[in-house]
Amino acid sequence: MNNGMARQAARLLLLPTWMVAFAILIKGYSDSGDGFSAGVIAALGVIMQYVTYGTATAEKLRPVRYARQIAMAGLLIALSVAFVPALRGQPIMTHYPGPDRHAVHLGSLELTTPFLFDIGVFLLVMGVCIGVFDLLAHATRRERS
Amino acid sequence: MNATVFLLLAALFAAPFTAAFGVARSSLTRPVAIVTSAIAFAAALYNAFQPGPIIDKEWAPAWGLRLHFEADGIAVLFALLATGIGLAVIVYSSVYIPIHLHHEHRAEADQTRFFAFILLFMGAMTGLVMAQDLMLIFLFWDLTAIASYYLIGFDSQKREARVSAFMALTVTCITAVGFLIGALMLDAEYGSFQLPTLIETITPNYEFDIAIVLIVIAALAKSAQAPLHFWLPRAMAAPTPVSAYLHSAAMVAAGVFLIGRFYPLVELRAWLLDALIVVGIASMLTGGLLALTRDNMKQLLAYSTIAQYGYIVTMFGLGGKAGVFGAMFAVIAHGLGKSALFLTAGAVTEATGARELSNVGGLRRAMPVLAIASGLAAASLAAIPLTMGFFKDEYFFEAAAHHGRLTQVIAVGAAMMTFSYLTRFWWGIFGGPMIGSVKPVPVPLVAPIAVLGAISLIGGLWPEPFARVASNAGQVALRSDDALHPAYHLKWTVENAMALCAIGGGLLLFLSRRFWLERVEIVSDFGKRVGPERLYRGSVLELNEISDRIHWIEVRDLRSRVATVLAPAALMVVITLIFTNADSSFEVGHVRRDDWPLIMMLAVVAIAGVAAAIPRDHFSMALALSGVGFGLSVVFALLRAPDVALVAVLVETLFGVLFFAFLGLIPRNVEHADVVPSDEPQEVGHRHRMRDSVLATFGGLLAFLVAWGVLSRPAPVDSIFEDYIDLTPSAHGDAIVTVILADFRGLDTMGEITVIGIAFLGIATFIRRRRVR
Repeated sequence: MNNGMARQAARLLLLPTWMVAFAILIKGYSDSGDGFSAGVIAALGVIMQYVTYGTATAEKLRPVRYARQIAMAGLLIALSVAFVPALRGQPIMTHYPGPDRHAVHLGSLELTTPFLFDIGVFLLVMGVCIGVFDLLAHATRRERS
Repeated sequence: MNATVFLLLAALFAAPFTAAFGVARSSLTRPVAIVTSAIAFAAALYNAFQPGPIIDKEWAPAWGLRLHFEADGIAVLFALLATGIGLAVIVYSSVYIPIHLHHEHRAEADQTRFFAFILLFMGAMTGLVMAQDLMLIFLFWDLTAIASYYLIGFDSQKREARVSAFMALTVTCITAVGFLIGALMLDAEYGSFQLPTLIETITPNYEFDIAIVLIVIAALAKSAQAPLHFWLPRAMAAPTPVSAYLHSAAMVAAGVFLIGRFYPLVELRAWLLDALIVVGIASMLTGGLLALTRDNMKQLLAYSTIAQYGYIVTMFGLGGKAGVFGAMFAVIAHGLGKSALFLTAGAVTEATGARELSNVGGLRRAMPVLAIASGLAAASLAAIPLTMGFFKDEYFFEAAAHHGRLTQVIAVGAAMMTFSYLTRFWWGIFGGPMIGSVKPVPVPLVAPIAVLGAISLIGGLWPEPFARVASNAGQVALRSDDALHPAYHLKWTVENAMALCAIGGGLLLFLSRRFWLERVEIVSDFGKRVGPERLYRGSVLELNEISDRIHWIEVRDLRSRVATVLAPAALMVVITLIFTNADSSFEVGHVRRDDWPLIMMLAVVAIAGVAAAIPRDHFSMALALSGVGFGLSVVFALLRAPDVALVAVLVETLFGVLFFAFLGLIPRNVEHADVVPSDEPQEVGHRHRMRDSVLATFGGLLAFLVAWGVLSRPAPVDSIFEDYIDLTPSAHGDAIVTVILADFRGLDTMGEITVIGIAFLGIATFIRRRRVR
């Protein structure tokens, strides 16, 4: 696509997209949205670069190069949150702090393990979306050539 | 560590140990395999002198499963066989397998697989014979089946080997499921999986009968008894050491082991013992008759194995001290003799290249040690005096004589055939004029045979130790403290007379073979044409055909795949609609004023949906589909579900982009309105289009009815969502949807994201593959 306006907009919008994604992730536990939506938004920002600049340029972005690692790290985080309680002899997916315990506040954000779980979901979804799109972009380019 | 644990660990860890060393360094495989199997054999020997204590630990207490092992008499006998003959076979294989791999043009590293699986078999067999818990028995039983599958199919480049391996697996595993059912029935009826408890408490009833019959069938199939014997001759497609091991001391022995293990239950029913006699005699006659005619050395031995295990099954059926104790003794004698003969066949093939008896002969000069050693083994199996096998026939005759005249005659007849085909085997190889050329074979191909042959002889001269092992096993099976005292009685007893008849008759049979050989072959041809193997093949082929046809309907193209989901789903809905009370299910509610935006939005969605169904080019179809999705997300927003609306918008955007990216993959010439594949004739295409539109209309209509029906019912009052809403603050959150996803139903989310991760890996490999092509 050879459209200067679109390219300019895509580049300018990349960081704000990530900002929004980050905000949605952080606000997930107190407002609409969660790790999943945040991950998709972050990925859409990157996909925008593919659409406007083409595969070769977009691939240089860091999240693209490490898409797999991001996805697997996310999965690992989420699974750890689920299974670490088992090591302590509690049912899996037990969250800390418990229902009447006090949690550390950062503004409206409370630092709890479900939040960590959500971060895992966020990373996984973002990595998978970008990674699949990258694979597909490569495949289409091969078919065309 | 006590002796029982030691035996168990030594046997079970031999395979992983060998595999680990072999993977690290292929040349280490053979020494490690020999050492580990030798340790296991030593452990078994130690247990024979000093049986270890019972291990009984909780395993899964909720289901009443226990890790319950005991090195009792039966366990020691079969463990000695499995590890001892295992050791002999492994020493033999350490030379044989590299040569074999070389012949087959395979990498030498493949030997690790062979030794690992044969040791796995040894371990599974040892575990099986020591287990006292029905589920443990089942577990090890299936492990032996799996190991046998890989061993029989070791030459996986040959179709014959693969078919045979599959056949052995199918026959033994289907019947193993019967065992499982039997075990579960026993547990349901008598409340225990522990065999000793069951033996103490069982009073037979109808359920017990079914269970024990299923268990006995599993045992008989594993022992290759008629009519489930056909897998064993096929299994000769395996390399010779595998046949030597599986068909003398391991797999086939596992079957009679199971009968011995369950004997206290089996003997509760007299008709079951009679059935054993019938099956045993049938196998004895089938196997014996066919063994008389085979020209292929291994085939001859295979049929003789069927016949010999027929002996043993018959002896169990005859019962009593001579029957059961004698059966245990026969297992030892047969295991030693038959493994030696199989190994002989392998060594002869190695030396001359011949597999048929008609292509070898006169090797007694060229291979004197082998001739003597295998002669001893054959003599033992043929029950010549001064060899161990003589006593197995003596007990057999004693039990048969007790039972009745007919059994007695059949027993002598079977022994005659045994003598005759073994003479044919041995004389065919070593007697007569020399045929072909011989190249020298390495010592490890002969030494194990010499050892096994020597033991067969020692067992004839000094049978006491072997008899003690057999007696200990028989005591467990028969629950008595009797003992065997084999000795030669130089006087006119019934057994001696029968033995004399058998040997004399067998000799006559052998000498007159020219006159009957062709006539017996007619019988075997007839068996091939109408036998159970044909039934097996037919049913496997037929099942495969049906499965192929269904598969083809489903995957022919994308539309038929959708149809196979849509049609059954629609059918089920129809059935539900017919059978549920549909009085007040369909209502048209009232439309309020603020519902209008919602209805307008739904109208837009409906229009987009119809537009997507009109075939034009792919691009506009994709756009229309996106329209449906975005429209629905607005509907969610209007229904005050911001979370769902957000996710819907995002997913729709993502899918839109992916969709358009995919369109780039579709070749240009089909991008326009070409819904029917161009390689189909016009009328077929037309018929498919009709079918598709009928199915689509039908499916859509029913989906509409279901949605209407659901929406017409008032929501249940005490939904769990009330609790979710109440509990959300205590989970440190305000956004109910997020809290449900990450906390209340976190386990579901965890499963889903794992699926996403795996799907990603799948997509990555799939697209990568295409690149390689």
